[in-house]
Amino acid sequence: MVAMVAASWGERADGLLQSARAACEVSSKLKQLRQLKEVLLNRDTSLLAEFVTRLAELQSERASPIRKFLAEMIGDIGSKHTDVLHEMLPCLISFLEDETPAVARQAITTGTALFGHVLEKLVIQGLYSNDIDVSLKSSWTWMLQFKTTVVHTAFQSGSDGVRLLAVKFVETLVLLYTPDPYISSDPPQESDFDVGFNISWLRVGHALLNVGELAVEASQSLGLLLDQLRFPQVKTLSNSMVIVLIKSLSAIAVKRPSFYGRILPILLGLDPAISVVSAQVPGSHHALKNAFIACLKCTHSSAEPWRARLTEALKAIDTGESIDQATKKNYREFSISTQNSLPGKGDNSSMHTCDEPSSDLANKRLNAEVSNDLLHDDVTSSKRIRLSSDMEQDLPEESSKLSADQVEDKLPLVDSVPNKDKSPGPVQQLVAMFGALVSQGEKAAGSLDILTASISSDLLAEVVISNMQHLPPICPSMDKEGSSSSKMVYSSVLPTVQLPSLVSDIRSLSSLNPLLASLLVPPSLSCDVDLQKNHQNDDEEMTDRTQTTLVDGSATIAPSFPASVLPLPHVAEHGHSAVSSIVNSEMDERKIPGVDSTNSSDEIQESHDASHSSIPELIETSQDLITGAQSTGVINPDTCQATSTSSIATSFQYVLPKMIIMDANLTDESKDQLQKEAFIRVLDAYKQAAGSGDSITRRSLLAHLGMEFPLELDPWGLLQKHIVSDYLEHEGHELTLHILYRLHRETEQDQDFLSSRTAVSIYETFLLTVAESIRDNFPATDKSLSRLLVEVPYLSEGVLKLLEGLCSPDRIEKHDKDFQSGDRVTQGLSAVWNLILLRPSSRARCLLVALQSTVHPTEEVRMKATRLVANKLFSMSSISQKIEDFAREKLHSVIEDVPVMVHMEDEELSSELQEEAGVRKKSNEGLKSDSGVMSTTQLDQSVMSSLTMEAQRCMSLYFALCTKKRSLLREIFVIYKSISKAAKEAVRLQIPILVRTIGSSSELLRIISDPPVGSENLLMQVLHTLTDGIVPSQELISSVKKLYHSRTKDVEILIPVLPFLLKDEILPTFPQLVNLPREKFEDALSRVLKGSPKTGPCLTPAEVLIAIHLIDPEKDGIPLKQITDACTACFKQHNIFTQQVLAKVLNQLVEQIPLPMLFMRTVIQAVATFPSLMDFVMEILSRLINKQIWKYPKLWVGFLKCAIQMKPQSFSVLLQLPAAQLENALKKNPVLKPPLVEHANQPNIRSTLPRSTLVVLGLVQDSQASSQAQTSQSQAADTGSSNADAATEVTQESTAISSGLQGGD
Amino acid sequence: MVARLRCAMVCSSNQNRSMEAHALLKRHGFDVSSYGTGAHVKLPGPSLREPNVYDFGTPYKYMHEDLRRKDVDLYKRNGILPMLKRNLGVKNAPQRWQDNAADGFFDVVMTFEEKVFDIVIEDLNNREQRLTRSILVINLEVKDNHEEAAAGAKLALDLCQEIDAAGCWEDEIDDIVSKFERQHKQKVLYTIAFY
Repeated sequence: MVAMVAASWGERADGLLQSARAACEVSSKLKQLRQLKEVLLNRDTSLLAEFVTRLAELQSERASPIRKFLAEMIGDIGSKHTDVLHEMLPCLISFLEDETPAVARQAITTGTALFGHVLEKLVIQGLYSNDIDVSLKSSWTWMLQFKTTVVHTAFQSGSDGVRLLAVKFVETLVLLYTPDPYISSDPPQESDFDVGFNISWLRVGHALLNVGELAVEASQSLGLLLDQLRFPQVKTLSNSMVIVLIKSLSAIAVKRPSFYGRILPILLGLDPAISVVSAQVPGSHHALKNAFIACLKCTHSSAEPWRARLTEALKAIDTGESIDQATKKNYREFSISTQNSLPGKGDNSSMHTCDEPSSDLANKRLNAEVSNDLLHDDVTSSKRIRLSSDMEQDLPEESSKLSADQVEDKLPLVDSVPNKDKSPGPVQQLVAMFGALVSQGEKAAGSLDILTASISSDLLAEVVISNMQHLPPICPSMDKEGSSSSKMVYSSVLPTVQLPSLVSDIRSLSSLNPLLASLLVPPSLSCDVDLQKNHQNDDEEMTDRTQTTLVDGSATIAPSFPASVLPLPHVAEHGHSAVSSIVNSEMDERKIPGVDSTNSSDEIQESHDASHSSIPELIETSQDLITGAQSTGVINPDTCQATSTSSIATSFQYVLPKMIIMDANLTDESKDQLQKEAFIRVLDAYKQAAGSGDSITRRSLLAHLGMEFPLELDPWGLLQKHIVSDYLEHEGHELTLHILYRLHRETEQDQDFLSSRTAVSIYETFLLTVAESIRDNFPATDKSLSRLLVEVPYLSEGVLKLLEGLCSPDRIEKHDKDFQSGDRVTQGLSAVWNLILLRPSSRARCLLVALQSTVHPTEEVRMKATRLVANKLFSMSSISQKIEDFAREKLHSVIEDVPVMVHMEDEELSSELQEEAGVRKKSNEGLKSDSGVMSTTQLDQSVMSSLTMEAQRCMSLYFALCTKKRSLLREIFVIYKSISKAAKEAVRLQIPILVRTIGSSSELLRIISDPPVGSENLLMQVLHTLTDGIVPSQELISSVKKLYHSRTKDVEILIPVLPFLLKDEILPTFPQLVNLPREKFEDALSRVLKGSPKTGPCLTPAEVLIAIHLIDPEKDGIPLKQITDACTACFKQHNIFTQQVLAKVLNQLVEQIPLPMLFMRTVIQAVATFPSLMDFVMEILSRLINKQIWKYPKLWVGFLKCAIQMKPQSFSVLLQLPAAQLENALKKNPVLKPPLVEHANQPNIRSTLPRSTLVVLGLVQDSQASSQAQTSQSQAADTGSSNADAATEVTQESTAISSGLQGGD
Repeated sequence: MVARLRCAMVCSSNQNRSMEAHALLKRHGFDVSSYGTGAHVKLPGPSLREPNVYDFGTPYKYMHEDLRRKDVDLYKRNGILPMLKRNLGVKNAPQRWQDNAADGFFDVVMTFEEKVFDIVIEDLNNREQRLTRSILVINLEVKDNHEEAAAGAKLALDLCQEIDAAGCWEDEIDDIVSKFERQHKQKVLYTIAFY
């Protein structure tokens, strides 16, 4: 059965291979091969031997995916079945040269894995027997050939894709061929192969492999890799190659720290080379940075000397976060391990364990700790002298309390110091040698270099340490504050050299020799500034080394004294009691229980700052140090407990003390409670803070805490409440700003978008709340709100809405607090003004607020806003255009909107009315009111007035702007014709104010001389305003005249300036004036008669009347009715057109040739008005007779009428008429005859009359009468002929006269 | 098209940027996954300091329900709910980069923040390198907001298409990147790691 199955699998595999070969499609070939692989690997592995060769034939397949798959398959098979591997490897090697990069890459990938696999197998097999499989041997041979080819590929130019993998192979090779310090060098038991692989297992011996040879080869390969990154070569590499090389090398360095010395100089040297092109290759730059960080993180001892330079290089790459992180993480290890290279005691064997690659990590750490302590003992021993002597003086009794074993533990270590002093061995000689070399200065640099390189680092460290005894009693002056601590160390190394110049020489030497530098620089880092301070402060005490030994024992005792006793004398001595008490109290408050004090030193002369900065560090290190101390049994926990506070107070020197913070298990609620209470305490501490000048700190603290606290603690709410409760006293302004800026920073930071959005909402709420409370709590005159808004980071929409509310209060609100709202508006507007001035970014928005306020329905608000906008803002050039546009838009809205609004409001109102009526009906069912009718008329009025108000609302800003920018005026005139009646009314109300403000400016004059069509009425009003009580300028007058003459011909336009025109100018216009409607004429008349205050009346009343009479209705085209009306108007004004005036007028008129048509009418009227003029009129009449009045038929009719009216006085005049005319007159007016005859018949008169007259009167009859009659007839014929011409006119005239008389009556 | 590249989109919470890109690349037929590198999935909460924290692996659907229950208005307004809705259409739950060893090997990893880039690289370095299989890690700086994420996803797609089009990206990556940088005026950081 089994055989059958096996056979069937064999057939199956055979079939698959066949069809794979036969198939045309690449994908189907692949499918077949996959199945074949499955069969061979998982179903029947016995088939492998048969199939491997057949498979290898596939290498000639043309489709590259097949070859690639084959390469992959070789790996899969080879890793499981090494026995058949050697048969497939030639195929794999041939793939390395494949034309398709993908195949070559797969070959390398596969080969890399197989190489390690084979090597491992070979090593292990060789370890336990000298008999090695032939197939394995053969595989190894092929593998070596593979290796040669790939290494060759790696360093030849070619496809980057292939090279990258080849480089990776070289990396693997180097790693495989070199001992792994992290894996035991002892070969594992046969059963235990999972520990990894370490080539150093070979040390026990191997038939084929030699660990030394492999190491050499690894070293060579590494050299090749490094060469790639050397300067000229690196330029030819692609970016990706550089990245991979850097990563590979750093990986090697980290995994094989022994190569640090070879790899890091190249990488560090790469930095400047790369930074030249770093702009183009951020990738490699980044890779380098990561490599440095990785190297820095390496805790292996070989890495340590490089830390300083790595740190520096990282700093150079970017001074940003990465360096901080790396150094922070490793700082402690770093400082400890660097001190390892500066071992304190030569006889301390534990120091050397660090160099053993195989040393256990934990072990190493412990050792480091111990050596650390020792070192500190050594360095600070001089310090201890003073303290301990103090102790001895001040605390004679207590010293006995120290635990005995502690002393015992310490003493041997201390004893070693003098021992070393006594030995004049190689160390002392070396010190002398160094001294001699350094004293030669720069030229000895080379020798110094060689010397440091040639001696072991341990020995060198010895030299440094032993030389410390020779530290000069007085430090070189340049080692004051700020001098680098490395100098310090140098000067201590080289006691003979004290000149500052040489010190700096040495410093330059140090840069030549990285090893020396790394040896010398680290202590400065670990010891911080304290070392310097030590030296400075305690020069005298550094003098004698032997003294150290005397008191060293007691120094270790010191920490175990009760807390209160120990620090005080010392502190007092140095005048730093403040510091210590602060530290003490801090510690007390925190209740930190246990602090180790094994190596506590005594320095308290720390600055305040230093003590603070060291505290976190202390805490950090305490844990580790304690474990160290406890495990070595140097100190027992009880003493730790007892001496806790004292040691902290005394030991925050560079000798890091330790303390443990006990975990206090608080519930979430109590944590919150604590946080909240703390917050409130800070909040309530405003008085103290203000007193001590810490307000700024407090503010920052509050803002920051607000940010950090969870919202459920409501820190913002607390802050708000605090600020609002007493804005002034609580520094509300400053605090609010602080908080807002903090929040703003949060929003601006490149955080995830949602938390910044949350910050925005807190910001806005906070600002709004504070602003609202200021508004509500402070009087309107207060400037706080304005100030706050001006200074906040940005204005939120909510706050702008608040401002809007202030500037444009709702009507309802207005009713509530009418008085206040006015001030509020002022407050709001002044804030807006400030914002516009001081916040350019919010200018547009604030302007809008102000502008909205200028069209507020309430006039008071509007006026205030308009004043602000027109007087203050409009003068700002940046926004004036916007203001103007807004005003214009509003002005134009009057044109467009108002008709619509009429409609709307009508509807609205009427519907309201209906409702109202409806209500009323319901309430007063029985009462039938006609209120509907009444209210309709009221409605019209109210609609009208509300429309006017509305128009005024829209226009007032524009009007205000006109006063500032005259050119805007024209617009008003232009739109005038197209605006509604209500708007016209609004304009009518407003324009006088405007015109009075700006006077007859040139712009206005221009408009006057060329007014837009349809603006005549407005223009009239303007003119009236301009001339009302003021003497108009000559320009205005001439503009008006110009307009009159050129455009309108409407004399009305002249009326306002009439008083200021000359007589000659007025007289020609009189016909037009007369033609005006009655009221306007009367207005003009009064103006003309009144004249200007300066020049007096333009025309006398007489002249006026004469001018009227001289109008020729036909020629001037004025209806006679207008002229008679004008006359009538004149006559009405008795006080002006007095008797004398009339007499004068008549007198002059009678002389006119021809006589004015209305003369007789005027005469009649004059007498009717002033009967006393009768005699004068008679005289006129007789003069008319002399002028042969009968020759003017129209006047003749009037004359006769006049005579009739004025009988009997007129009889004497009538009798003066020649007989023919008399007869004519009597014939026309027979009523006259009897009284006239009677009058003439009076003896005294009759005697004066000529005979012909008497004949006409019928008083005499004689022959002469015929001749007289003849003449009269001829005269009558004359009259008749002219009568024929003017027959119609006469009738007209007479009717006119009669009507005039009637009017006159 | 022969087997495309396997891509991974990585941001810190596997919510916004990586998911945006994931969705887009998926639409364009890529074999794509997405991850976050953070310790937890953090979504903004009611306040700055109270994010909603979920473990990786919590289904998007659950988060959606959870937040909807908490404050539907807030999370709708700030775009969280729509985002989660989009995400649950793409895959079930956010995944953590550091725990993705079982997901197989990627050819290209796209990160959207340098911090994430560094974490991915460090993580890859810490993994055992056995395969000598290269992986391209590219960082594209994209701000963590909806708009930028959408724009960033387009860039990521563009870049992935370019790389995919190249037969052997190792040979052409420098050109592709510099061309991309020129074209989009954006700096791209890349590195090559190995499985």
